Amino acid sequence: MQNKFRGVMQSPITPLKDDYSLDLATFEKVLDFHIRTGAPAISWPHHKGESLSLTIAERKRFAEAAVKVVAGRVPVTIHVSALAVEDTMALARHAQAIGADGILAITPYFWTPTREAIHDYFVRLCTSIELPVLSYNSPSYLAGVEITGELMSRLIERLPNFVGVKEASFNSEKFLEISRVALSLRPSFALLTGVEFLLPSVPLGGVGSYSAAGSVCPNLCAALFDACMASEWARARELQYKMTRLWHLFKDQYPSSLKGGMVIMGRPVGPTRPPLPTATKERQAFIRKELEDMGILDSEPHGW
Amino acid sequence: MSVFEPGLVHTPVTPFTHEQRIDYELFGKLIEFHLRNGADCLALPMHVGESVSLTDDEQRKLLAFAIKQVNGRVPVIAHTSDAGSAIAADRARHAQDLGAAAIVATTPYYWTPPPHMIIEHFAAIGAAVSIPFFVYNSPEEMPGTRITADLCLKLIDRLPNFAGVVDLSLDWQFMIELLTYAKRKREGFQLIAGTEHMVSASAIGASGLFSPLAGIAPKLIRRLYESCRKDQLLEARTAQEAVAALRQHLKTSGSLKAAARALGRDCGVPRPPLQALDAEATRALAAALEGTLRDEPRGW
Repeated sequence: MQNKFRGVMQSPITPLKDDYSLDLATFEKVLDFHIRTGAPAISWPHHKGESLSLTIAERKRFAEAAVKVVAGRVPVTIHVSALAVEDTMALARHAQAIGADGILAITPYFWTPTREAIHDYFVRLCTSIELPVLSYNSPSYLAGVEITGELMSRLIERLPNFVGVKEASFNSEKFLEISRVALSLRPSFALLTGVEFLLPSVPLGGVGSYSAAGSVCPNLCAALFDACMASEWARARELQYKMTRLWHLFKDQYPSSLKGGMVIMGRPVGPTRPPLPTATKERQAFIRKELEDMGILDSEPHGW
Repeated sequence: MSVFEPGLVHTPVTPFTHEQRIDYELFGKLIEFHLRNGADCLALPMHVGESVSLTDDEQRKLLAFAIKQVNGRVPVIAHTSDAGSAIAADRARHAQDLGAAAIVATTPYYWTPPPHMIIEHFAAIGAAVSIPFFVYNSPEEMPGTRITADLCLKLIDRLPNFAGVVDLSLDWQFMIELLTYAKRKREGFQLIAGTEHMVSASAIGASGLFSPLAGIAPKLIRRLYESCRKDQLLEARTAQEAVAALRQHLKTSGSLKAAARALGRDCGVPRPPLQALDAEATRALAAALEGTLRDEPRGW
C-alpha cells in the first residue's frame, strides 16, 4: 500500500497582522494558494510556521481553520511538538477531534532525552490517538538527540500508526540506516526530508519532503520532485542546485526571510514574532535581487 | 587544462612487521593487490594507513616506495596532513618532487582553528605545489573544526590548484551548497565521496570515491562505484546497503587489518595507540563478514 504522505508537501507560514496577532483571512488565502499550486498535502504549524511562538490556544484555533479550509482536498497533518509534552498530548487529541489526517511530532525539546525516553514518548503519543503519526528527526537542531535506525525499528514493530519520518539529519549514513530498517519492516513507511533535499534522498528510498520555499516557488518544487521520480538525475541536479540557492537565501533568519520573499511575490503575510526579526526593507530589496537573478520572478506565480 | 579526475581511489593500510616497522615487502604486494583489483588511483598514507602514527621521514619514504612500485600505472595522491602548516607544506612539496599526481590534506590536527586560520593552513599547503590540491573534510575525525562551503569558496580565490573536496561529512547541505557555488567559480571543481556512502553524494554530483574498504571488498566497491558513475542511482541502492553494513564492522585500522588477515593478507597489527582486535573479536568479525565477502578475492 502506498503511503498518502508523499511529494513536496507544504507547511504554510503563519500570517500575522501588524500587531502580531493571527491573521485568519490571509491564512485561508495561503492554504488555498498551496492547494491550487499543487501541494499534495498540508502540514501546520512547522517551525517555519512559528509553532513555538504561538500559544496552544492559537495553535488549536488555526489547526481547526486549516482542516476546515482544506476541506478534504488534500490530507492535513498537524504538527503537535510543544515545549511541554503535556501540551503535545493535548494538541494530538485535539487534532484527532477536529478531523485531521495525521500528526507530526519531533523528539522532545530541551531535555536531551535518552533513547529510552524518546521511545516511551512516542509510544505514549501514538497509543493516545488513532491517527497516523509522522515522527520528526532533527539531531543538528536538538543537540544530537535523534531517532536512530534501531529505535525506529522498535517503534515500527510496536506501533501500527507510526507511519513515517520527517528526516532532517541530511546525512547519507543516517538516512540510509533509517531507510533500510524502516522499509524492511513497513514497506509503506514514508521517508520524507525536512527541506526539499529530494536529490540525495530519493535514490535511498525517499518519497518526498516538506517544503521550505514552496510559498515562493511551488513550480520549482513540483519540477524537482517529478525529475527525481523519473530518475532524470542530470535535470534533478540542476533543479536541486537552484533550490539550494533559495534555501541559502531563506535559511538565514528563517522564516523571516521567507516572509520577506513572499512580499516580493505579491503575497504579503505580515511580520515575524520576536525573538525572530522581521525582514527589513533592505533585506527585502536584497531578496528581490536574488530572486530576479535566479529567474524566480518569471517562473513562479505572482499574487494569490 | 584537462582536469585530473581520480575515479575510484583505493586507500591502502600500512603493513607493519612484528617489530612495528613498515614492512616494505608486504607493502609492495599490497600495492600490486590494489592495482590488480580495480584501483583507478591510490591515495596514501591516509588515516586508515595510520599516517598520523608515521614519522615525517617514514611518510616520505613510504610515498617514494609506492610511486616507484606503481611506476606510472595509476596516479598516486599523497596525503600530507599535519598540525603545522610548514611541515605539511614541505611534505607536499616533497611529494610533488617524487611525482605524486595530487595532494590531499585535512585541517590542522589538535588546534581547532577558526575559519581564517584553516584557510591560511590550506593556502600554505596548496601554494607549495603546482599539482592539484584536494581538501579532506572529515568533521568526525577533526572535532571542533568545521569546513564550510563559504571557506572553500574563499580558498578557490586563493589557490588556482584547489581542485576539490574529499567529503566524509556525508552532509547533504554542505555538499549541495559546495557544488552549487563552487562550480560557478571553477568549472572543474570536484566533490569526491570520502567514504563508501556514495549514492547521495553521487546524486549531488560527486565524481569519485576514496575507499578504505576496497582493500577488503574490491568487487562490491567497484559495483557501487560503477552504478553511481552511470547515474543508475536506484540500482546502486542494493550495493550501497551491503557496503553500509560492511562499514559498520570495518571503521578502524584494527578491524581492517583483522579482516585482511582473515582473507589471507596479513598486514600485521596497527601501531600504538591503536589496538589490534583480539582473537575473539577477530573470529566474530570473520564470521560476520563471511557472507558478504564470499565473492571477494582471497590471498595475495
